[in-house]
Amino acid sequence: MFDSLISPKSVAVIGASHNPSKIGYVVLKNLATHGYRGEVYPVNPKGGEILGYRVYRDIGEIPPVDLSIITLPAELTVRVFEDVARKSKFIIPIAGGFGETGPEGKELENKILEIANRHGARVIGPNTVGIYIPRSGVNTALIVPERSRFPGDGKIAFITQSGALGLLTMDSFAMYGVGFSAFINLGNRVDVNENELLRYFGDDDHTQVVILYIESFKDGREFMRIAKEVSVRKPIVVLKAGRTARGGKAASLHTGALGGSDAVADGAFKQCGVIRAYDEVELVDYARALAYGKPFSGNRVAVVTSAGGVGVVTTDYIESDSRGVGLKMAELDEETKRIIREEVVPFASVENPVDMTAQASDDDYDGVLEALNDDPNVDAILVYALFQTPLISERLVDIIEKWHHRGKKPIVVGTIGSEFSMKMLGEFEKRGIPAYPSIERAVKALRVLHDRAHILGRLIE
Amino acid sequence: MNEYEAKKFLSSYGISIPRGYVISSEGEIDKLSLNYPIVAKVLSEEILHKSDVGGVILNITSKREAKEAFKKIHGKFHTPVLFEEMVRGEVEVIVGVIKDQTFGHALMFGLGGIFTEIYRDVTFRVIPIAKKDAEAMIEDIRGKKILEGYRGIKVNRESVVDLLLKISKVVEDNPNIIGMDLNPVILTHDDAIVLDAKIILEKSGES
Repeated sequence: MFDSLISPKSVAVIGASHNPSKIGYVVLKNLATHGYRGEVYPVNPKGGEILGYRVYRDIGEIPPVDLSIITLPAELTVRVFEDVARKSKFIIPIAGGFGETGPEGKELENKILEIANRHGARVIGPNTVGIYIPRSGVNTALIVPERSRFPGDGKIAFITQSGALGLLTMDSFAMYGVGFSAFINLGNRVDVNENELLRYFGDDDHTQVVILYIESFKDGREFMRIAKEVSVRKPIVVLKAGRTARGGKAASLHTGALGGSDAVADGAFKQCGVIRAYDEVELVDYARALAYGKPFSGNRVAVVTSAGGVGVVTTDYIESDSRGVGLKMAELDEETKRIIREEVVPFASVENPVDMTAQASDDDYDGVLEALNDDPNVDAILVYALFQTPLISERLVDIIEKWHHRGKKPIVVGTIGSEFSMKMLGEFEKRGIPAYPSIERAVKALRVLHDRAHILGRLIE
Repeated sequence: MNEYEAKKFLSSYGISIPRGYVISSEGEIDKLSLNYPIVAKVLSEEILHKSDVGGVILNITSKREAKEAFKKIHGKFHTPVLFEEMVRGEVEVIVGVIKDQTFGHALMFGLGGIFTEIYRDVTFRVIPIAKKDAEAMIEDIRGKKILEGYRGIKVNRESVVDLLLKISKVVEDNPNIIGMDLNPVILTHDDAIVLDAKIILEKSGES
């Protein structure tokens, strides 16, 4: 049902502008630069031409379209809305000045909803940065391209109540090439809500993980129903904000004072298989782990490193309950130790973490990963690809890729360092290997894969 | 609903409560057939913290003491008095219900006493819950070791799971319940017994 929104055959820009600093220009520019291949109909009473697109003077002149983006201020948006609704399947009114400003704005909002309902058009927003769909090149977001980056196509669908936080998150992950299948900012959520979109992306072949930034649910029970269905097939990660707000409704009761609505949300997530993130980094990190990695239900982790300290800190993070994830370091099988000691790296420490020291080469990694893959005492492998030592090369990415795809065991990669390491992180990302630029982030990604296995166990049971 | 009504109501769902009677006059105490020691409690919907205001007398071991307790409580509050057998157990837990704006009815479980007061060591699930949800609730609690035989404490986990499932059912059947506090619930070797219960119903006319 949202196909016409995600991959529209035609887009109208109502309020198209000749002024490059105006959103009415930026949206057209986005469509041009992101390779949108459908029909584009800019509308502005002045007419003329913008970026090579013919500008229509009146909405009446354009044929029916899949998507209309209204880049006018609130008052004008309301004024043209009837004409737009008559022509459009989906409408994105970008402007603020609606329900978020008070009762008068709320009235405007109700008015556009009423008009849309009458014409059978669906509304995203208002008060939204809109949508960004890398695959179809639809992009309604206003950001300065010289200072930020839009991510490419990927497997993660991102539904967010905050447009700005969503864009910032994508910008920061675009740095190492993380892609998204879709980005949708709900804005004031007058019509289209997170539940419908969650269901849609649950069935969307391009999406492997759905992530949400939510401040308040439209309908919590409905969310749980849909999330329970979807999370059997696809992982869902939610960053739920407003953790500290207290719902003091039943304050005369102990139970009311003990649980704000956040504690209830936490329980609800557990019941419907939703994985919870606490900031924007976790949100996307977990999504990447779940999109690329294999869930594992055991708790024994083998760690491979060429830097001893990295192994020690990792061990703490893996085993600790308080500042860690409460998994276990695997007790390696004697045969594994023998192979590593005798056949692969005689200089290495063959306990877990396997510390191959700075003398390690790409091929040493290959041998160790093979041995760990065969070890019956190991449920998952965390391997550090540290490119700062002389015998390690870019070929290590190929070797890890081989074991990630061919091996039975889930692999998570840690890569610590500056530009070159970041470049390699992008390389892992490109090949669909979950890789992280810090110890803590790598270990938490492992835990999420472990959690996912248990969620599946509970949901399918 | 006063405490006695709330407990009788829960008892109709097979939830364990102490044996007890409501006494309105001193004379009725002669017919009281409870095993000592017993406890006397003021029976009132208005008084929320009974023991803070002297509305609870514990460890009554004879008819004579029972009469004194009645006179004391009845004289002070002019209400009936609930007499119950005292239950000794291993550890106290708290079970509650709230109606959340977003998710609707939710069930809470936690360890009693300082664990809830200071550490807020409680967990919630949205009602209705399944058996595995009830089990997961016990697992959620940071102090769960206490329920696993810590320092010789012996309780029956299944009785907790059973109580949580029953409360979920109570609320499912009675959606006009907007709040519930079972505090404390005492866990014995084999059972979970509700020692105090408050149930708040939606006022008719509200929605």
